[in-house]
Amino acid sequence: MKKKLVAALSLLLVIGLLSGCGAAQTKSGDTGSKDAPDIKAIKDRGVLKVGVKVDVPNFGYKDPKTNKIDGFEVDLAKAIAKKILGNAEKVDLQAVTAKTRGPLLDSGEVDIVAATFTINEERKKSYNFSDPYYTDSVGLLVKKAAGYTGLKDLNGKTIGVAQSSTSKKAIKEAADKLGIKVSFLEFNTYPEIKAALDSGRVDAFSVDKSILSGYLDASTVILPDSFSPQEYGIASKKGNDALAKLVNDTVNEMKKSGEIDNLIKKWSLK
Amino acid sequence: MVSPFAWFKWQALIRDWSVFGQGFANTLLAAALALALALGLGIVFGVFGAAPVKLTRVLNRIYVEFIQNTPLVIQVFFLYNGLPHLGVMLPVLVVGVLGVGVYHGAYIAEVVRAGIQSIHRGQLEAGLSQGFSYVGAMRHIILPQAARVVLPPLTNQAVSLVKNTSVLALIAGGDLMYHADSWSSDTLYYGPAYVLVGVLYLIICYPLATLARNLERRAGVSG
Amino acid sequence: MIRLEGVNKFFGHHHVLKNINLNVKSGEKLVIIGPSGSGKSTLIRSANLLEKPTSGKVIVNGVDITAPKAPVAKVRQSVAMVFQQFNLYPHKTVLENLTLAPVLIKGVPKAEAEESAKAFLERVGLTAKANAYPSQLSGGQQQRVAIARALNMKPQIMLFDEPTSALDPEMIQEVLDVMVDLAHGGITMVVVTHEMGFARQVADRVIFMDEGEIIEQGPPEHFFVNPTHERTKLFLSRILR
Repeated sequence: MKKKLVAALSLLLVIGLLSGCGAAQTKSGDTGSKDAPDIKAIKDRGVLKVGVKVDVPNFGYKDPKTNKIDGFEVDLAKAIAKKILGNAEKVDLQAVTAKTRGPLLDSGEVDIVAATFTINEERKKSYNFSDPYYTDSVGLLVKKAAGYTGLKDLNGKTIGVAQSSTSKKAIKEAADKLGIKVSFLEFNTYPEIKAALDSGRVDAFSVDKSILSGYLDASTVILPDSFSPQEYGIASKKGNDALAKLVNDTVNEMKKSGEIDNLIKKWSLK
Repeated sequence: MVSPFAWFKWQALIRDWSVFGQGFANTLLAAALALALALGLGIVFGVFGAAPVKLTRVLNRIYVEFIQNTPLVIQVFFLYNGLPHLGVMLPVLVVGVLGVGVYHGAYIAEVVRAGIQSIHRGQLEAGLSQGFSYVGAMRHIILPQAARVVLPPLTNQAVSLVKNTSVLALIAGGDLMYHADSWSSDTLYYGPAYVLVGVLYLIICYPLATLARNLERRAGVSG
Repeated sequence: MIRLEGVNKFFGHHHVLKNINLNVKSGEKLVIIGPSGSGKSTLIRSANLLEKPTSGKVIVNGVDITAPKAPVAKVRQSVAMVFQQFNLYPHKTVLENLTLAPVLIKGVPKAEAEESAKAFLERVGLTAKANAYPSQLSGGQQQRVAIARALNMKPQIMLFDEPTSALDPEMIQEVLDVMVDLAHGGITMVVVTHEMGFARQVADRVIFMDEGEIIEQGPPEHFFVNPTHERTKLFLSRILR
């Protein structure tokens, strides 16, 4: 029994060394046969399944005219697919919402999620997160006609937030500091919050500024206040640790090479 | 991986039980009021639909067809976000009760109409020949008999009404589903949250469904 | 007591009653006979407006109940009807069947209504069934209850629409016995029936109808012994075989 184990281990070691040598010559994207099971599963399948937003312009947005999903996070997903599979087009994009992205990761329906997913300690207990690829802050969208100039004017008002977003906590802390009281209503999707703002059910629409910019129109304005800078990371399932590492390495390479900055410019974020 | 049902998630759920308690209370309140409204509308429009007066039958058709052929979500969304543009800002509980009550009222009207029409015409004639008015004959002779036929499907309507109060979650209505969505999306501990919600809905609906079955059996025996 | 003036009734294009003129006097026992489809049921149902005449007038105790906004429900309280299918209220006990309308419509105190109900049940021989439900009774018993229910309204006129046609033969006599007993009591009665023996025994006048018209009428002794019209003769020869 023990002998067999030793033999198996040494075999693994040899294979590892061999493939390690070979990696230098192969193109990036082919990491050889030492793949961990989570990476291998993706390679066997030949496609990377990525959860992205479809309702956040410039991040992940499905153009109703072309039915194509485009955005900063879609480009990130493609870069990771290129890294694993050698082909940026081998991505299977799946629409996720704040509510579905966790369950879809758990069930294996998606390998990774790049969907304006804010990194925090509590979430790290449930999922692996990459280092941040973008830092956003929470903002407030209000009706111009209301004449608000900042959070301080919103004492006693109602703020619409998205479920699973961290903006509620951020605004609450800021409001406590100002000594004012605000209440929150939570909605499933951003368009619903915008509808509630238009109908007067809520006085302000609060979510990450990058997302808010997609809902700005002639009758609304984004207040200059910024709260709780938050970092977006790419999430994967706990246990798929090789995948998490690969994703994280890719993000960091792209940061170093300036590719991330180029993408941020390309999608006119900030 | 960390299981969606990990123990620490259950502990968090127990710590925050009052969130779910409040949601449960709101769901019960909304369901009770909506059921009262649905029964009232259902009986009135059901009688309208079976009446020998063309106008009331037309009213019945307009109500039933309009409500049955548009999604509940749209109706509720209109009450919530549409009416304010017309200057009517209803409290969210009222939106829920009105939306769900009017919606199921249409289904109950159909059940009641069918129930009335299942009662032999001679019953109405007997009542009229004794000097009852049409309404009086309905109230004292036809509806009590129709009630026996109608109770099982009516109870089924009550069950789906309770479940449909969860549309309140879409309009931040503070019901059980809303609080469950809110809590589980804050913590991402959706596993325990939705199990608990399922159990709580079951606690309301199971006795109703059992009642429906028993009534159905009784109606089958006597009829 | 009841007067029909030029009553016509159409069901669609079908002319069911053709210019009917009829006068029923107080205390009269009128029996209407005729083949099925002759319009006799429609005629008796016009008398309390369960069928609304297409044209013509129905006058009960001097009140034209075909007039717009006529107090039809009020008039019906004094015109009781017994149906072919009994039409007892199945969700009420026998006693409740008798007291429901007197209490709710006429405002008779409940105790009083029950007392008179019991008296009428005794008269039709069903005291023991006061607390039974209609479904627990035979057809003959149900029809006797229906008669008692009609009587408990203390009506001035009783209409019988083929009261024995739905009964098994062995139950017909018990119902007819009750009706004969009633006739001796002096109440105004209009009876649509095929029971010629009953007609002979109690009728003051017999009417023969065919194809929506009154063909012939007269006291039973003349009517049965010496009918003048061919159609009457034919009908009687068939039915009295």
